[in-house]
Amino acid sequence: MSGHRYFEDWRPGEEIGLGRWQVTAAEIKAFAAEFDPQPFHLDEAAAAESIFGGLVASGWHTCAMLMRLIADTPALMGANIVSPGFDDLAWPVPVRPGDVLEGHARVVDKRPSASKPDRGLVRFDYSMVNRNGETALRLRSLVLYRRRPAATLAAAGGGAE
Amino acid sequence: MGIVGSRDRSMRYFEDFKVGDVIPLAPLSIGEAEILAFARKFDPQPMHLDPEAARRGAFGGLIASGWHTCALAMRATAAWFAEAKVAALGSPGLDQVRWLAPVRPGDRLAGSFEVLEMRPSSSRPMGIVKQRLEFRNQAGTLVLSMIGTGFFARRPEPAA
Repeated sequence: MSGHRYFEDWRPGEEIGLGRWQVTAAEIKAFAAEFDPQPFHLDEAAAAESIFGGLVASGWHTCAMLMRLIADTPALMGANIVSPGFDDLAWPVPVRPGDVLEGHARVVDKRPSASKPDRGLVRFDYSMVNRNGETALRLRSLVLYRRRPAATLAAAGGGAE
Repeated sequence: MGIVGSRDRSMRYFEDFKVGDVIPLAPLSIGEAEILAFARKFDPQPMHLDPEAARRGAFGGLIASGWHTCALAMRATAAWFAEAKVAALGSPGLDQVRWLAPVRPGDRLAGSFEVLEMRPSSSRPMGIVKQRLEFRNQAGTLVLSMIGTGFFARRPEPAA
């Protein structure tokens, strides 16, 4: 059977593990050089003198890591159409070289689209948690999912997929 | 000394912002190779990764990952921080981030940073600025908007 999960398949409160990301100094600096060249993301010596006391990842880098963990989670992919955006993003603690971040998803709620009968909006709370149990990133994401095609149900005749 | 302790008169500190300021950010362009490279690393979905599949998809062509657009917005903001010597100290988070229109290869994006609210931190020598960031493409279409929060160093007191 397909791993696709449609709008109908999401249950509020449901939790999904997203796997882990090992953070290295080299990738922190490479991302920073391209997108966020502030001294505390780019250079160990300057970072040591900053308010962070050492090299920290760009918050957008942590977001990109989360996106990759989401993209590698089959349950979340396939029937997703697009995301209009997200709300309430926080970076409560810095991400440092050597951190291992574990991604988590939790379904908040969902509602069918008022204008397009083939889709519905699902809200997810996503987080990235380090090995000390501290949340390094959290956000509430909006994702449009396709509704389960009625034709598929009819064709299946109620049998197994 | 780090940023907090320096007394460089050319630095732009928390005190140098005021509510209502709108700072234009230098435009930047995005190419197909860049979109594909970001997608391969962080967001490998066909609409970001595969020009052929994207052409047949909902957007009628390759579009950038929304996270890539956010990262480009950060690049434009960081370029302003460096250029204007802004004493930026990071961000605790943001809100109401919306990807309002697709970003496509060849697009040129221009942003603005509008100061909405300011308050000094009660615990640290810095101020907290709430800002609206907006990015538009070459047609003037809003592609990304968000409400950000930034920490900025306070202007150090003169020694005498």
